[in-house]
Amino acid sequence: MLKRFFTVYFLVIALAALFIFTIKPEAMATGLFGPLQTVSKEAGGLNTAIGYFYHEDTYKNSADHPMRLNEIYSQAAYGVKNIGGIYARVGLADMKIFDVFGSSDASIKTDRENFEANWEFFGTLGAKAFYPINSIWGIGAFVQGTYYLSDFVDTVSGTDGGTPFISELKIKNFWNANFGVGIQAALPLGIKVYAGPYVYYSEAEVSLHSCVSGSEYMVEDDTLRNKAIVGGFTGLDIPLAKGFRLNVEGQFADRFSAGAAVIYTY
Amino acid sequence: MKYYLIFVVLIIFLITGCAHNPVTSSGALPAKKYFPQPVLLASASEPNAAQSATDAVNPVDEEYKDDETFDDYADSIVVEEKVEIADPLEPFNRAMHQFNDKMYFWALKPVARGYKFIVPEPARVSVKNFFSNLAFPARFLSCLLQADLSGATTEVGRFTINTVWGIGGLLDPSSGKELDLQKQDTDLGQTLGVWGVGQGFYIVWPVFGPSSPRDSVTIVGDYFLYPVSYISPWYAGVGVRVFEEVNATSLRIGDYEALKEAAIDPYIAFRDAYAQYRFKKIKARKAKINPSVLTEEKAPSIHPALPQKGN
Repeated sequence: MLKRFFTVYFLVIALAALFIFTIKPEAMATGLFGPLQTVSKEAGGLNTAIGYFYHEDTYKNSADHPMRLNEIYSQAAYGVKNIGGIYARVGLADMKIFDVFGSSDASIKTDRENFEANWEFFGTLGAKAFYPINSIWGIGAFVQGTYYLSDFVDTVSGTDGGTPFISELKIKNFWNANFGVGIQAALPLGIKVYAGPYVYYSEAEVSLHSCVSGSEYMVEDDTLRNKAIVGGFTGLDIPLAKGFRLNVEGQFADRFSAGAAVIYTY
Repeated sequence: MKYYLIFVVLIIFLITGCAHNPVTSSGALPAKKYFPQPVLLASASEPNAAQSATDAVNPVDEEYKDDETFDDYADSIVVEEKVEIADPLEPFNRAMHQFNDKMYFWALKPVARGYKFIVPEPARVSVKNFFSNLAFPARFLSCLLQADLSGATTEVGRFTINTVWGIGGLLDPSSGKELDLQKQDTDLGQTLGVWGVGQGFYIVWPVFGPSSPRDSVTIVGDYFLYPVSYISPWYAGVGVRVFEEVNATSLRIGDYEALKEAAIDPYIAFRDAYAQYRFKKIKARKAKINPSVLTEEKAPSIHPALPQKGN
């Protein structure tokens, strides 16, 4: 009995080490920043948007693990054109982390290698300020924070030296904060182009819950943080018709991310 | 168990038509838009005092006046028309009218006033927009059944835009000047009317208010087309309906009082205004589909056995 306990305990620790300590993030998700100048009316007004953001990053430790997020969201914002604005988003995001469940140890075999979690809710709050230098140029700054309201969970099963196990990996309390500054230029046809650097910080708790040979074990949570990373962003704000606008944006930190939003200005 | 089911069905039936039907939405309270002219046979060309008073009472209606699609045709609708409806159930109807009147003054209005005091008007308008957006299926189907493809398309556009860019329907960007997709204010009762079904006789339902056999079909039809009807458990759905009705009432407190005070016999005034209102709505729908109907339509007969088509 004691021997079995130590055998299983060792296995749980090994699995925890395998899954948790190999996914320490160097970077976490951000989100579309949008044009530096609010698209609301000059005197102030509401605008709403629906958007999609594809995010990629690399998690580094002993090995690199590419990660990607798909985010779809709805946004409501209020702003005054030459001052700034505030905005809030609610959306859904999925998560995929590549090669998390894989192992270089030939005795450990899992049914798959990637962590995949379905759509979970997130909320974002942000604010931006803008100062027009002249009719063409302007500078702005923004701060944006996102919290993922639900946990990202995935389960993997496999064997370690012939002993079957099932492990549930959970990423919870996942949040990030971003701050950026940039410059914006007005082009003909009402198009605006903007670009600038940004810094961000993110944090998440990761836990592993394993079931080995019918016994359940819980490994304590580990807090993961990334060191502040500088990235760059650039985007276009294009007027469409009947009050609609298209915003496309790209971001680059460890990897390239991009998104688009269709905005309606009231 | 049997009695329990009957009770549940009765409650759902009573609440169903209380809010989502643009005509019977007032429940116990006959809504202002129900009675464009509280005095029997009032002329469309002559504004009356009661209507003016009503307009003054509720500024919210100013924002929604464009929602009334029949307004587009109001100028062309024949004035000085006499619209009547048979009333073989008058004793019962008067009792129900009285019941609804008391329910409004004793229950609905006090709650709505408290709610109005707490919740600011923009929030209440947003709630109204939200429920109006939810009622899209009934309007869409009604447009389709009336062969009003442009109306159905407009409804689809409105629903999509208001849901996506209107934060789930809380806002109504579709009605703005730029998009100008106005709500198709129609229902299944109007659909039957457009296809020639007569309204029959006047009936006042408890809670629902004024109706007719034809328009009562709307209550049942809309129940199945309104998403709130499918909320489980059933009492949660009832709660949502009650909340919707309280919110709607809070936006028109004073309308009913003004109309009631302006009438010598409120029952008669509401009955005839109801008939006239429905007649005009159906006529407007017919005119939208086939403009030539404007010159052909006549006011319906009072005889229930031989109802005129489309009244």
